[in-house]
Amino acid sequence: MLKITDLSARVAGKEILKGVNLEVRAGEIHAIMGPNGSGKSTLAQVLAGRTDYEVTGGSVTFEGQDLLALAAEERARAGLFLGFQYPVEIPGVNNVYLLKAALNAKRKAAGQPEVDAYEFLALIKQKMKLMHMSESFLSRGVNEGFSGGEKKRNEVLQMLVLEPKLAILDETDSGLDIDALKIVSMGVNSLRDPNRAVVLVTHYQRLLSYIVPDHVHVLSGGRILKSGDRSLALELERRGYDWVQQETRVA
Amino acid sequence: MTSAPHAAAAPPPSPALRAFEAQWLARDATQSGDSTQSDPLTVLRQKAMQRVMRLGLPTARDETWRYTNLRHLTSHGFVDAPKGAPGVLQPTASLSLVGVDALAATVLMINGHPVLPDGTDAFFNGIEITSLRDLSRTDPALVAAHLEPLSDADQSRWALINTALFQDGLYLKVTGKVKTPLVILHVSTAEGANQIAHPRVIIEAVPGSSATIIEHHVEQGTHRPLCNSATHVAAGRDSKLEHYRVFATSAGAEHIDSLTLRLGGNSLCKQFTIALGGGLVRTSLEADLCQPGAYLDAYSLLVGHEDRHVDCVNIATHSARETRSRQTARAIASGTSRVVFNSKVVVNAGAAQADSQQSCRGLLLSPSAEIDTRPQLEIHADEVKCSHGATTGRLDPDMLFYMLSRGLDRETAQSLLVYAFLADVLTGMSVPSARSAIEDALIAQLPDSQILNKFR
Repeated sequence: MLKITDLSARVAGKEILKGVNLEVRAGEIHAIMGPNGSGKSTLAQVLAGRTDYEVTGGSVTFEGQDLLALAAEERARAGLFLGFQYPVEIPGVNNVYLLKAALNAKRKAAGQPEVDAYEFLALIKQKMKLMHMSESFLSRGVNEGFSGGEKKRNEVLQMLVLEPKLAILDETDSGLDIDALKIVSMGVNSLRDPNRAVVLVTHYQRLLSYIVPDHVHVLSGGRILKSGDRSLALELERRGYDWVQQETRVA
Repeated sequence: MTSAPHAAAAPPPSPALRAFEAQWLARDATQSGDSTQSDPLTVLRQKAMQRVMRLGLPTARDETWRYTNLRHLTSHGFVDAPKGAPGVLQPTASLSLVGVDALAATVLMINGHPVLPDGTDAFFNGIEITSLRDLSRTDPALVAAHLEPLSDADQSRWALINTALFQDGLYLKVTGKVKTPLVILHVSTAEGANQIAHPRVIIEAVPGSSATIIEHHVEQGTHRPLCNSATHVAAGRDSKLEHYRVFATSAGAEHIDSLTLRLGGNSLCKQFTIALGGGLVRTSLEADLCQPGAYLDAYSLLVGHEDRHVDCVNIATHSARETRSRQTARAIASGTSRVVFNSKVVVNAGAAQADSQQSCRGLLLSPSAEIDTRPQLEIHADEVKCSHGATTGRLDPDMLFYMLSRGLDRETAQSLLVYAFLADVLTGMSVPSARSAIEDALIAQLPDSQILNKFR
C-alpha cells in the first residue's frame, strides 16, 4: 500500500530525513518509535504533503501512484489521513462543517454523490458516541477550546468518519490519561481491516498494549535503524534507544 | 463672505471647494428672499461654509487622510445630483442586500432626497419620520441643535460641506421600543460626471426608546455621484440603538460618510460599519460618550478587493464617568486593494472608570494588498481601563494545512478561514435578517461562494 524508498527531506535548510525505507502492506499496523528529534513527525508531515518540508531525494508510492506528486488535499482524497500531534484550533470554522466538507471532497473525488445531511448527522453522532464526545462538540469551532485529550479524540473521530485506507497517527497517544488512551485505541482498532493500514508514531510502548502492531521500527537520526515485531517495542521500553544506536554504529 | 478670514497657513481653495462656495452663495441669495436669514439653522449652515472655506478640504497632509488622497475629486467642481431617479429603480443584487421585501420598514432616499408616502412626514411603529427640508422650515432650531457642534477636525471637513449644502434628508425620532428594523435605502444615481449628493440623516432616540436602523447605500445607473453623506445619532438616556451603515457599491463608486454619535446616560449604541464595496469608501465615526454609563459597541467590517480603497476612522471620546467603548474591526484585503483603519480612544479628565477596548485584526490575502491599522489612546484621567491590540497577517498556514490534509480544496479552505475571521463581527449582529443579508453579500465577494453557502 505504501512504499517509501530512500526518502530524504529537509526543513529550513536542515536535513531531517536521511534515507528512510519502509513498506506498509494492507491490513498491517506499523509502529514507528524513536527518540525526540529523530524525524518521526517530519516523516508524518512529509507523507501528508506539508510543503514546508522539502523532499530532497527518494520516492514514495501509495497504492502504486507517486504520492509526492500529489497535493496534500489530493492525498487525503486518495485515502491518506494524518492524525496531528498538535491539532490546530480553528475558531469560527465549525467541526461539523469541516468534517462534512472533508467527507464530501473525498466522495466527489471518488465520483460519489454528496452525503445526505441527515445521514451525515446520524453517522457523526454514532462515531462521537464511540469516542465518548459530548453533543456540544457539534456546535463548536474546530478544536476550539478543546483540552489536549479532546483534540486527540477529535482526530480519531475525523479518521473514523473519513475511513482512510492509510492512517498515520502522530503521537495520538501523548497527553492522554489511561481512560482516553483506551477510547482512542478502541477507535483505531475499530478501523482495523484487511484493506486498511495504520502507521502509529509514538514515543511509548504504552499505546502498543492497546493497539498491537505487526511491525515496529526504530527511527533515529533520520533513518530506520532497526525493525522487528512487537517484542522490539518491549525491548525498547526496557533498554531505551541507546543500544539500538550503538548496535547500528558497531554494524 | 468669500473673503472670510483665512488662516495664515490656509491652502488656496481647491476647485471643488470654490464650486461648493459658489453653490452656497447662490442658495444663500435665494434664501435671503424668505427673510429667514436670522434663523439659527441658516446661521449655523453659514458658519459651516465659512469654516470649511477657512480650513480647506482635507488633503493627504491631514492626519486622518494620510492614506486617502482625494486630489482627483477636489480638482474639479461638482453640481448636485438629481432629486429623482431616472426611471424606475431596478432591483439589483446590491439592492437585495438588505432586501426591500425582506424587512418590513424601508424608507427610500434618492441622492439624499427622501421619498416619503405623502411627501411630508410619516409615522412608523414608534419612529416619527420627517423630511429635513420640512423640519428646517417648521423647527430650524431643532435641526440646528442636531448639526452642532461644528468641528475643526480634519475628519469632519466633508461633514461641514454636507451641513452647508444638504438640500433635504431625514429626521427620525424614535419614540418607542421598536422591534422591526428600519432600513434607509440610500440610492445614489447621477445623470453625468462630477455630480454630488449630500444625504443627511438625524436619528434621535428619546429616553428609554430602542430601535434598529440600517442605512444601506447602493447605486443605480451608469453614472455615480460622489456621495458625501452624514448621519448624527443622539441617543437619549437609557435608550438602545443598533445602527448599521452598509456600503455595497460598485468599483466606480466613491463615498465619504461621516457619522457622529452622542450617547446619553446608560444608553447603548451598537454600531456596525460594513464596507463591502465601492472604489473608494471613507467612513468616519466620532462618538461622544458624554453621560455616565454610556456604552458604545462599534464593529467595523472592512473588505477590500480588486483595486478598491477603504479607509475607516473611529474616534470614541469618553467624557463622563463609567463610560464604555468597544471597537472591533476586521479588515480583509485582496487583489491590490488597500484598507486603512484608524481608531482612537480619548478619555477626558473626569471620565473616571472609563473602560475601552480596541481590537483590530487584518487579513492580507494577496502580496499586493495593503492594510494599515493604527490604534491610539489619549488618556487624561485616572482609574481607567483601556486596552488595544492590532495585528495583521496572512492566513495561518497551520490552519490551512490542517484543512487541506482533510481533503478540502485550497479555495474552500481559504474561504472558510476568511469567513471565520469575520465571525467576531457577524456574531455581534442581533438582527438575524440583517446578519443573513450581510453574510449573503459578504460571501458573494469571497472565492468559492457556492461552497461556502452550503455550510452556513
